[in-house]
Amino acid sequence: MFRFPAPRARAALAALILPLALAAPAHAQTLVIARDMDVNSLDPHRGFCDTCQIVFSSVYERLVDLAADNKTIIPLLAESWTSNDNQTVYTFTLNASAKFADGSPVTSAEVKWSLERLASLKADPGFLMDGLASIETPDARTVVITMAAPNSELLGILAAPYASIVNAKVAGAAGAASGAGADTADTAESWFLANSAGSGPFTLAAYAADDELRLARNDVYWRDAPAAAEVVIRQVKDSVTQAQMLQSGGADIAMQVDADTAAGLSDPNVVVSTVPSFNFVYIALGAGAEGMPIKMTKPVREAIGLAIDYEGAIDLIVGGEGKLQAAPIPNGFPGTENLPLPKRDVEKAKALMAEAGVAGPVKLDAVYPSVNVYGVDFNLLMQKVQQDLTEIGIELALQPVTFPVWRERIGATGIPVTAVYYAPDYFGSGQYASFFGLYEGSPWYNRSHAAKAEDAANPNMAEKMAAALAAPADKVDAAFHEVGMEMISDRIIIPVLSPNLILAHRANVEGVRYSACCNLPLAEISVK
Amino acid sequence: MAEALARARRPSWLTVPVALGVVVVAFWIVAALTAPLWGLDEPLKMVARRLQPPSAEHWLGTDALGRDVFSRTIHGARISLAIAAVVVLAAVAIGAGLGALAGFFGGWWDAAVMRLVDVTLAFPPVLLAMAVAATLGPGLENAAVALVAVWWPVYARLMRAQVLEVKTREHVEAAIAGGATRSRLLFKHILSLCWTPIQVNATMDVGQVILLAAALSFIGLGASPPTPEWGAMISEGATQFYSWWIAFGPGFAILTLVLGFNFLGDGLRDLMDERSSR
Repeated sequence: MFRFPAPRARAALAALILPLALAAPAHAQTLVIARDMDVNSLDPHRGFCDTCQIVFSSVYERLVDLAADNKTIIPLLAESWTSNDNQTVYTFTLNASAKFADGSPVTSAEVKWSLERLASLKADPGFLMDGLASIETPDARTVVITMAAPNSELLGILAAPYASIVNAKVAGAAGAASGAGADTADTAESWFLANSAGSGPFTLAAYAADDELRLARNDVYWRDAPAAAEVVIRQVKDSVTQAQMLQSGGADIAMQVDADTAAGLSDPNVVVSTVPSFNFVYIALGAGAEGMPIKMTKPVREAIGLAIDYEGAIDLIVGGEGKLQAAPIPNGFPGTENLPLPKRDVEKAKALMAEAGVAGPVKLDAVYPSVNVYGVDFNLLMQKVQQDLTEIGIELALQPVTFPVWRERIGATGIPVTAVYYAPDYFGSGQYASFFGLYEGSPWYNRSHAAKAEDAANPNMAEKMAAALAAPADKVDAAFHEVGMEMISDRIIIPVLSPNLILAHRANVEGVRYSACCNLPLAEISVK
Repeated sequence: MAEALARARRPSWLTVPVALGVVVVAFWIVAALTAPLWGLDEPLKMVARRLQPPSAEHWLGTDALGRDVFSRTIHGARISLAIAAVVVLAAVAIGAGLGALAGFFGGWWDAAVMRLVDVTLAFPPVLLAMAVAATLGPGLENAAVALVAVWWPVYARLMRAQVLEVKTREHVEAAIAGGATRSRLLFKHILSLCWTPIQVNATMDVGQVILLAAALSFIGLGASPPTPEWGAMISEGATQFYSWWIAFGPGFAILTLVLGFNFLGDGLRDLMDERSSR
């Protein structure tokens, strides 16, 4: 039977517990996240990284947001909007109560200034504003955005954290510029590393590269105040250390624990949840790469696609925590429903190789970035693909290199077989069509050196892509489905798997979810 | 009585560690030479479920791709020993060659070689090896070149000192008086007396080269996957934290082999140079 300890022991116990009990609420105020940060800038119109998505969407706000279903566009700074029939003119009405962290209201002038700054800085995320014709501000609460060509995805783009609305007065005083010539006139990038000028639930308190990033609650936030008073993102490179911090209580959330490490975590204080992600890794074939012993024609490319053991790859590389993906458009994005999933068929692959007149072992260079992203170890992935391809007589010479070397090689001579990854920049399939589609001048048209290959360029692609972007809302899915089918038949980009996202957190943390636009919405998280 | 006799007969350099070193090094050399004959699983093939702990079937378990770690460790000896042998021989050939010429001829040639040696030795060896390997790109051959670039100056310095010392001995003067040609003087009368420290050093260095080669592979500058190189295997094991056996096999292999060569080098030094053993 349980008995209370003797009075003296009880006093001692109280003396021990009391400071802990007092300390607990203080801990509840601060949320610590362990993450390998990839920050390249904290200027929302210059930065372009996964960590940037988290920070920008917590410190700044966009006209619209993506709902928790990762599909529906919902109001944020704009309370309502309309568009014309052919998706070229969008009119937004701003929420009258929206205000920046310095208390000043968010007006149409700030929206125009910010979106024009995104376009005119010509930095990494600048492409999001491609095709912008004009932004008009008839009054302080109305913004009219006109596109040069139909763009059914503009709302998705405006929900991206890079389309953040910045306090023009505050940032302008720090050297920020917008409009023609801003790419040389703007001197605010370093200011943004220590300050912020947004209307979001948090403000940037401090940032030390390779150390930590601190966010403080925005006390005058115009919507529901976030639960955490402070968020600290700690730089922690590897998965194992992140897991250990979680176990020891040094972190509340670990964002990049890989599947194998997660499987080894058996701690009642740690919760591991797995959700499908919109990230994917793919094998890319350089149809026109230099120095290949064979011509990498469509049958050969198809054979390579059929030789890969996709199910086995999911099991091996991400410990079963992944999904098959049909086309280079992530599962769940417009047009991906019912696309045919890849399947292994070695016999058919061999027949295709024979038909293409390729006999005997063929040696192909496989240069790839030696990285470990989204829980996928590229060394492991390429060794798996190497084993699979030996069955159809292709021997890969694996050459792991750094990203700059990889980029140089693929641009200069092309790479016969390589592996890369992709994470969405905004919610919409157009980014995939324009990045992976094999129309003249596209990134992968150049990287696969399609101009030097017989049958790599896709003459239908440009037209189908334009049609999908001009499609009315109810036809968007069907139009992108066709785009997806074209990309599958090209057989240049072969998605291997979409790794699940592993979100590991302490059991007392609530509200952790994955967002297609913003990665991890910090304002929704609380520590109990 | 018998015990005392045995002790008296045992040469002073043959201590327990040295004997252990000989055994361990001999084991790994035999393993490297005969690995394909052991009937082990194919080191590059998936043979079982991934990440299985050690069992009777797979003594050191399986790695993240389901390959047998024991087989990969044994086959890894072929790579590590080969790279160590090549690097040490090349470093000795280049370093001792240049050092001998520097010591023998002196003058501007001596000054040039020794300044180059000084400059090279001024770099921390690991950093220099990394820099060279990174410049040349990943690959075992390039790692070997990088290691030679780091190691040759040691032998140049050692050899030069030896040559300078032997050059002044009386038998050399006698040979000069007898009209020996320069090449005969260098090769027959001087170099033959200079090898002892080089040999001892080279034996000790084999272990160090294995270690540094593994370090280069660990950081991705050495062997390309799927080569069963020990450093690369440890690197793979490091990401599989809870599957300790992946890194254990190659880690233990490096430990034993490096230790073995160090013991062997110690014994060799005592054997060649009785003074240092006392």
